[in-house]
Formats: sequence, C-alpha cells, structure tokens
Amino acid sequence: MDISTITDTFDGWTDNALSWISDNGEWLFDSVRAVLEGTYNGVLWLLQLAPFYVIAIIAALLGWRLINAFAGILVGLAMIFCAVMGLWSETMSTLALVMTATILALLFGIPIGIVAGFVRAFDRFLEPILDLIQTMPPYIYLLPAIALLGYGAATALVATFIVAMPPAIRLTALGIRMTPHEFIELGQASGLTPWQMFIKIRLPFAIPSIMAGINQCLMMAFGMVVIAGIVGSGGLGETIYSAVRTLDIATSINAAIAIVILTMVLDRLTQSVARRAKGDAR
Amino acid sequence: MNTAMNDPAEVLVDCQSVWKIFGSRAQAAVKAISERGLSKKQVLQDFDCVVGVSDASLQVHRGEIFCIMGLSGSGKSTLIRLLNRLIEPSLGKITVKGKEIARLNAAELRAMRSRNIGMVFQSVALLPNRTVLENAGFGLEVRGVAKDERNRTAHAALEKVGLGDWTARYPRELSGGMQQRVGLARALAADPEIILMDEPFSALDPLIRRQLQDEFRQLTKSLGKSAVFITHDLEEAIRIGDRIAIMKDGVIVQVGTAEEIVTKPADDYVSDFVAGISRIHLVKAHSVMRPVAEFKAAEPHCDVNVLLRTSPEADIAALIDLTMQSDRDAISVVENGAVIGVVTIRGLLRGVAGTPTAA
Repeated sequence: MDISTITDTFDGWTDNALSWISDNGEWLFDSVRAVLEGTYNGVLWLLQLAPFYVIAIIAALLGWRLINAFAGILVGLAMIFCAVMGLWSETMSTLALVMTATILALLFGIPIGIVAGFVRAFDRFLEPILDLIQTMPPYIYLLPAIALLGYGAATALVATFIVAMPPAIRLTALGIRMTPHEFIELGQASGLTPWQMFIKIRLPFAIPSIMAGINQCLMMAFGMVVIAGIVGSGGLGETIYSAVRTLDIATSINAAIAIVILTMVLDRLTQSVARRAKGDAR
Repeated sequence: MNTAMNDPAEVLVDCQSVWKIFGSRAQAAVKAISERGLSKKQVLQDFDCVVGVSDASLQVHRGEIFCIMGLSGSGKSTLIRLLNRLIEPSLGKITVKGKEIARLNAAELRAMRSRNIGMVFQSVALLPNRTVLENAGFGLEVRGVAKDERNRTAHAALEKVGLGDWTARYPRELSGGMQQRVGLARALAADPEIILMDEPFSALDPLIRRQLQDEFRQLTKSLGKSAVFITHDLEEAIRIGDRIAIMKDGVIVQVGTAEEIVTKPADDYVSDFVAGISRIHLVKAHSVMRPVAEFKAAEPHCDVNVLLRTSPEADIAALIDLTMQSDRDAISVVENGAVIGVVTIRGLLRGVAGTPTAA
C-alpha cells in the first residue's frame, strides 16, 4: 500500500465524517445557526437604531472619558469619516459581528481560563490545543463551519469565535496564577474559604491580565471578521472581498480605511480600560 | 488593661520538638530522624533534604511577647508559619490554646486562624484595590461580620494605631510606616489572642522602626495580647520581647530574657551577637553586685548600711546615676529590707564591658 492510498483513505474518512455530522446533526447546527444569527441581528439592530452621528458622539464621549479630550475628538471624527465614505452600514455590521463574536469568546474563554489557572492538569491539556488553534491559518476554520452552518454570518461568527478565544483563555489563566505569594499567605492566615480566596484575592489581582485578554480577543476577532467576508459575513470584509473580485480598488481601499479606524478606536478604548484596571491594582 | 484576668502561667502556644524538612524525600528523612536520630548534615547528605526547623521547642504564655531572633536562613520564618499551620510540620506537636493544630480539619483551622491567631507580614500585603478602612476590616469581612459593625471595629483599630483620619485613603497613598500600622490594625481588628509578627518593621527606616516598636509593645501589653515576633535584629528583640529565642541553622540555640541572653550567652554564636549590645539598660544590679559577705570580708572598714541603697532590679544606668550622687564608691543592693550585695565601681565597669562578676 503506497502513501497516496493512505492519504486517500484518510481524506475519505474525513469527508464521510463531515457529511455524517452534517446529516445527523442537522437539528443541532440549525439551532446553533439560529442562536448565532439571532444574537448578531439583535446587536446589529441596536447599533442601527441610532443615526451615525449619535454613535459617533457616544464613541467620542467614551474616548474623552477613557483617554482624553483630544482622543475623544479624534475618535468622533474618525467615526464620522466612515459615514462620509458611504460605508456606515457596513461598518456597523462589522462592529456587530466583532462584538457578538468577542462576547461569545469571552463567555467561554474567561471561565475556561479560570479553571486552567487553578487546575494545572487541565492547563497542560489545553496548552497544545491552543497552540494548534493559534498556529493554523485562520481561514481554515471557515471550511468546516461553512460545511455545517452554510454561507452567512453564523459561519463567520463560529470561525471568529475559535480564533478569538485562545488569548482570552491564556491571559485569564495567567492572571489567576499570578497572584502575589504574600497575598495568598494573607488569605490563608486570615482563614479564607477557597471561594473567598478566589473572589477577594485571586480575581482582583487577575483583572488587569483579564482586561488585556479581552483586548487581545477583540483584536483577533477583528482580523478574522474581515477574512470571513469570503463566506458572506456581510460588513466591511465582504465589501473588500467583492471589491477585490471586481478590481474596484477605490472601494476596497475605503473599506480598508474604515476597518483600520474601527480597529484603532476599539483597541485604544479597551486598552485604556485595561490600563485603568492595572492602575487600580497597583 | 485587664491583665489581672490573664493567667500569666497559661501556655497559649506550645511547640514540642518540631521539625520541618523540605525536599522531595522529606517523608523518608523524617522517618530516619525519628528512628535513628540523624543530624541535619546527614539528612542533607543522605536524603538531599533541607532542614528548615530542627527539634524546636518553645512555649508562649498569655500576655507575653516572645521574640524569635535569627539571621536569614535561620528558619525563623518557617517556625512562625508552623504556628498557624501555613506550613505543615514534618515531626513534632504544636498546640495552640490547648488544641493540637495538626489535627484540626479545614473548617476548624480557618476558624482558629480568623479568631485566635492574627498575622502581620513584612510585606504588609494590603489589598491595593481597597481603602485603608476596608483593609483593616478584612479579617472581619472574611468572618461575615455585618458592614456597620465591621467598619466600626476597623475604625477603632485604626484609631489605636493613630490612623483614624486615613480611613478613606488607599494603601498606595500611605508611607511604609503607615502601611505597616494598617497591617497591625487589620490584625488587631479581628481581636485574636495571639498575633504573629513576621519581621514587620524590617523594611522601615530606623527612626520609624523604633517608634513602631515602642507603640507595638505598649499596645500589645495594654490590650493583653500575646505575640510571637520574628526579627533579625537583636536590639529590636531586646526592645520588644519579654523573652527571646535565638535561632541558628534551624535550631533554637537559647531562650531567655534579654538580660539572661546578654549576661549568660549560651555559646560563642550568641556571645558574638550580644557583643555589640549596650548593656546599661539590660544588666541589673543583682548580676553585677558582690554578695554582701564577700564585700565585708574584702572591705572591713566600710559600713554597708551607710551606702546609698537600690533594688536588685536597678539597671546599670540607674546604678551609675546613684554612684555619681554618692560620695562613696559603692551602692548597697537591698531586698526585703536586708542588704544582699554591694555594687562597686569595678562591678559597674564589668557590667558595662560584659564580663560577668562571678568570673
């Protein structure tokens, strides 16, 4: 039996397994899809409720409160610029995708990270999986997702969720493990229960690291959401993808600018929240 | 101020032949020690285990401040952590308030730590995201005391350490000395009988340190607390401690009052330590006087009854003062109305220099 036969057999198994899963798990994937798209549409509906200048003003106010007045003005102007380029609804779709995927990733990532921070064996088991997820080219995750969930936002969300979760897990686990020894000793000497030790000592010291994890999670989600334009995610990613296909360079550059603006705004805002958390812990 | 209620003979903390051995083969080493009585060196050679505390026995009485003095690596920090079981002993028995702490289950141990044994750390370990008041009330919060009562008690404890006006501040706004006072207030607020002090003042500058030493001693005595106080500074141990244990390489070399340690050092190691210590407040008349019979034999013309008188507890500083006032070169030491000895200038000089009169 030569090598190509082995490979073919393996590929056959994979294909069979995938079609078996999609045939037998249809009810499951349909409900997953419904939940994901429902959440996404809800977030998008909220974002589109207000006209663009209201969102821009809210973003500017956040920038002012979290960073400074100058940053606030820049943030507001940058958001307005997205609308001026005629890409407001795409920008909001992308924002909704990123927010939904990030919230999902954090919902799973932070609890998993906390457990990994406490249970060394679980952390050791998780480590190679996270390494694998992070070293694979991110668009790989689009393939099984599209096979199971079909073309659309749900596929984009699942792939983004997978890519965005590892930094949240890693940095949460790190934060839980980083508690300074003297405070563990204080907790023990004061007679804390394990739960009190977690809530009153470990978690407060982990907050800065968890905040950094949230920021990283958001940035990974951004990168992936754009790639997910290929599977019809909607938003700026899809705009770029179709512009590239029709060689509409002007539109693709505009969309790229809008992505850069959105990324930088969210990055700076969350980074400044993370810095504040760190300042409090000092 | 209710020291009358306290029975000074009551032993609060009792350590009997306690060992702590660190290393992967600690179990085997413990077995070898209890069966064959291996020395520390042999334990290191045969089992690759480090002996942190070796055969330590000590008793802390109610109302007593017990200092454990040793250099870094002497095992003093390990020993104090054995007292509230932050570290499990390898061998030996530790009893706190009549209960053997190795036998307590997790809940009983937590109750003992939160009610009976407080601890103050060298690093202070104030929670940075809480105010001074919240930090001081931490022990009560853990115990589930209602917020109003907790804040009242914490505030009272902060008043005691002179920080009543700083309750709303955060630890980072306080100086090192003030932070350590908050640490002390946190321990006091929980109202334990025993306070473990793990080198609390070592990181402070000398002036603040002395001030805190005096305050700590006065506060502990007035509240009738017992304390185990770890330090690497013999002068600090002498200032604070009722009794002092000197540790070296995991072994308690000597236990005694400051005067006993200064006047009768157990070995060369201790005498090296006490060499630089000023004796004028430590050495008392009874240890530098000549017995009255011996003095009469040597100086038949001198009438001991016309000399200035003092008690056996007068220290050298007081004796020097008396000698300066007197027109003679000797002071009688009187106990229960009878002259029991005479301190001469020779005796004073010996006392200051540190050579015992008996020699």
